[in-house]
Amino acid sequence: MQKIYAIVILTWKAAFRYRLFWVLASLLLVAVVGLPLLLKDDGTVEGVAQILLTYTLGAVTGILGLCTLWLACGTLARDVEDCQIQMVVVKPIARWQIWLGKWLGLVTLNAALLGLSGLSIYGLIELRANRLPPDQRARLKYEVLVARASVKEEGVEQLIDETTDKAFQQRMEKGLPKGVDPRAAKAQLREQVKAEYQIAPPGKTGAIHRPWIIHLGRAKDSLKGEPLFLRIKFNSGDYNSSGTYYVQWMIGSSSSVRPWRSEVMSLAAETFHEFPIPPDLFDEKGDLMIFLLNLNDTTLLFPLDEGMEVLYREGGFGLNFARGLGIILCWMALLTTLGLAAASFMSFPVAAFCSLAILAIGLCSGTLSNVVQEGTVMGYNEESGKSGHSPVDLVLVPTFRGLLEVIQLVQQFSPIDALSTGRMITWGQFSLAIGQIVLLLGGAIGVFGIFVFSRRELATAQGTN
Amino acid sequence: MTTTETTPHSALRTPNSEEVVIAVRGLTKVFKDFWGRSKARAVDNVDFEVRRGEVFGLLGPNGSGKSTTVKMLLGLLYPTKGHIEVFGHSPRHVATKSRIGYLPEESYLYRYLNSHETLDFFGNLFRLPGGEREKRSEQLLEMVGLSQTRTRAVGEFSKGMQRRIGLAQALINDPDLVILDEPTAGLDPIGCREVKDLILALARRGKTVILSSHLLSDVEDVCDRVVIYYGGKIQAMGTLKELLATPDAVRITTPVLPRETMERVLELIRKDAAVDKIRIDNPTQNLESYFLDVVQKARQAAEETSGATSGHKVAAYLRGDGEAKPAPDKILERLTTAQTTASVPAPAPTPAVSETVDSKKLETLTRTPEQPVPAPVEPKPAKVDLDKANEKLSSLLGKTK
Repeated sequence: MQKIYAIVILTWKAAFRYRLFWVLASLLLVAVVGLPLLLKDDGTVEGVAQILLTYTLGAVTGILGLCTLWLACGTLARDVEDCQIQMVVVKPIARWQIWLGKWLGLVTLNAALLGLSGLSIYGLIELRANRLPPDQRARLKYEVLVARASVKEEGVEQLIDETTDKAFQQRMEKGLPKGVDPRAAKAQLREQVKAEYQIAPPGKTGAIHRPWIIHLGRAKDSLKGEPLFLRIKFNSGDYNSSGTYYVQWMIGSSSSVRPWRSEVMSLAAETFHEFPIPPDLFDEKGDLMIFLLNLNDTTLLFPLDEGMEVLYREGGFGLNFARGLGIILCWMALLTTLGLAAASFMSFPVAAFCSLAILAIGLCSGTLSNVVQEGTVMGYNEESGKSGHSPVDLVLVPTFRGLLEVIQLVQQFSPIDALSTGRMITWGQFSLAIGQIVLLLGGAIGVFGIFVFSRRELATAQGTN
Repeated sequence: MTTTETTPHSALRTPNSEEVVIAVRGLTKVFKDFWGRSKARAVDNVDFEVRRGEVFGLLGPNGSGKSTTVKMLLGLLYPTKGHIEVFGHSPRHVATKSRIGYLPEESYLYRYLNSHETLDFFGNLFRLPGGEREKRSEQLLEMVGLSQTRTRAVGEFSKGMQRRIGLAQALINDPDLVILDEPTAGLDPIGCREVKDLILALARRGKTVILSSHLLSDVEDVCDRVVIYYGGKIQAMGTLKELLATPDAVRITTPVLPRETMERVLELIRKDAAVDKIRIDNPTQNLESYFLDVVQKARQAAEETSGATSGHKVAAYLRGDGEAKPAPDKILERLTTAQTTASVPAPAPTPAVSETVDSKKLETLTRTPEQPVPAPVEPKPAKVDLDKANEKLSSLLGKTK
């Protein structure tokens, strides 16, 4: 450990002696303090806090990420090119120890800078919150500066599958038309069944959306007297000139005599909305029933995955914020590994270029996803209604599919979104992030980098002194 | 007139250890391009061994394969063919490196560290405890004359100063094997002398030193055995005596003698040797010793310098027990002993020290087993013009004809 520690200290000294630490710290502080001054908000306290959290954390992540990648490539590649690494490897230190020492040095440096930025952001938010009137402060405390757990409907997918199977069986008994693929027919049937679970027909027709049944489970015991929040999102097939739609909510339980009824709300489509509901609307089992009254002439569609969820306070903001920063640190650790791995066998500019290219590919997951869904890189022609085809699809589509699987290991964690919406980042999620991002993905890249570095002839690089 | 030390320091030691520290067999290194095509054959089928306690020299012109060989010994390059063993292990064996110290041909140090931090960093890589690291760092900085500059960044040093700190880091672990690649490059003559003294001090302690250089005087002063590289191949290998001795000539150095004595000596010599084979002149000290004398006098006059200082002792932990006197002191001893001997009128040989006339050696040098004792030759009529020789003799004696 003494040897690895020596390399860690060396990395820190380089960061300080080349003034990199101070420049980076200043840049991050400017981003944290200066950026909120430039941003426009929606006028609400919650909006201000959410924008502040989103943009400052996003800026910090972006700046640190790029610098980390650059540093990681430079610290090893430059040592090899300037031949200083020769003075180190002839000492009784294994190459993996040198590699690990540099990795630890950069990760701890990131931790320090992230900690500094995080403290600044936290301090700024607390400062702003303390200056607010008590009622606004309370809203902020319950909606943003909080760690809220989320509960969604359970078992809907299973219900859909069961209903689809039944309907498909009935259809098969009647017989399918000629030339119809049974699998395609079943998939189409499933989409129909799923739509029925999602749509809220116009109220004038007399039909109402099925109730959402939310099971709070054991959390009900701690939620007595505590307000809950509904977070909803819907789409609309018909364009509305105002862009907003009128809805009303009735919430209670199966044993409620008189369910709670909300005011009529005018809500925009395709965006998330949160509003509080009174406490103690659930029954002894912790079940909550939510009815929607669609007061429009158009059908509204509530997606199964994000159409409806109940949020409740489970913890404080501080620890949640720290866990969020921890996940961001996991991203930085992965970028460090990527940069060091590239520098293990490439010169500095080439390693930096390749690492940045890989980062760019990782950020283009939307494009990759489209290619995989369409099954071709040639895209979908909307005029002709046909997808293009290319011989390279045979290679690229599976490659993109594999890449997406890898990228998903990282992108499934979104601490910035969670923190800006006051959602809980659990210890389980944090541990999973460490396991997936740092150990699994980072470990695989790191093993490759160490292997290549261990086998490299270090005296073939020309000194630049 | 001054006398010079004619016997190399290396000849005063006789390393007789049979332990092989480095074994190289059939070593070949071919550098290839990105496509795997051969670009240069830097080392070609080299074999040698280095024994414990030896000072082993790698000599050769630029690009002959010396540094490539050194780098393969250290695991910085991998052989294309052949086999290397260092202390019985592969060069890439990590634990073995704790016994090796290396000074590369350029000082590849971290420019943002100061000299103390540099030694502390490398000491940490050898897992030296904090107290020991501190002690050795102080001694080494003192030894290389950089104790006044311990807080200056290495990037601000001159090349010579960087070489000195490079040498210090090579010795932080008191290595059993020291590999020095052009150790005197960039050093002033005092520094060169100190490095050579250090090499000899290490060798006296049983350390093995490998010295790669194209500076012949450095190698000649300290090495026991040398290999001479050219074109990646070993062209010659052996001890300095074996390689440098000129078997068909003899050199005798004496104090200034009266003219008559000199004439008698010359007359005797001319009986057995052709006049054009005889050379007479004043022995000269080499420029190094003259330079050292001048600097020593200046130091005694307390002249200041802002650069590296010199004349420091070898670090205590490197000296071991029983520090040997530095070479200039030895020379002084021998000179005063020789002068005392010369002041005695009777020209009796005093064989007590090895630098005075060794009659056995004289016999060996002057006669070979196959050749019978030459009969005295009748002086031939003087067909050769001796005037020039006499003129030179007169000028040497400082007397007019």
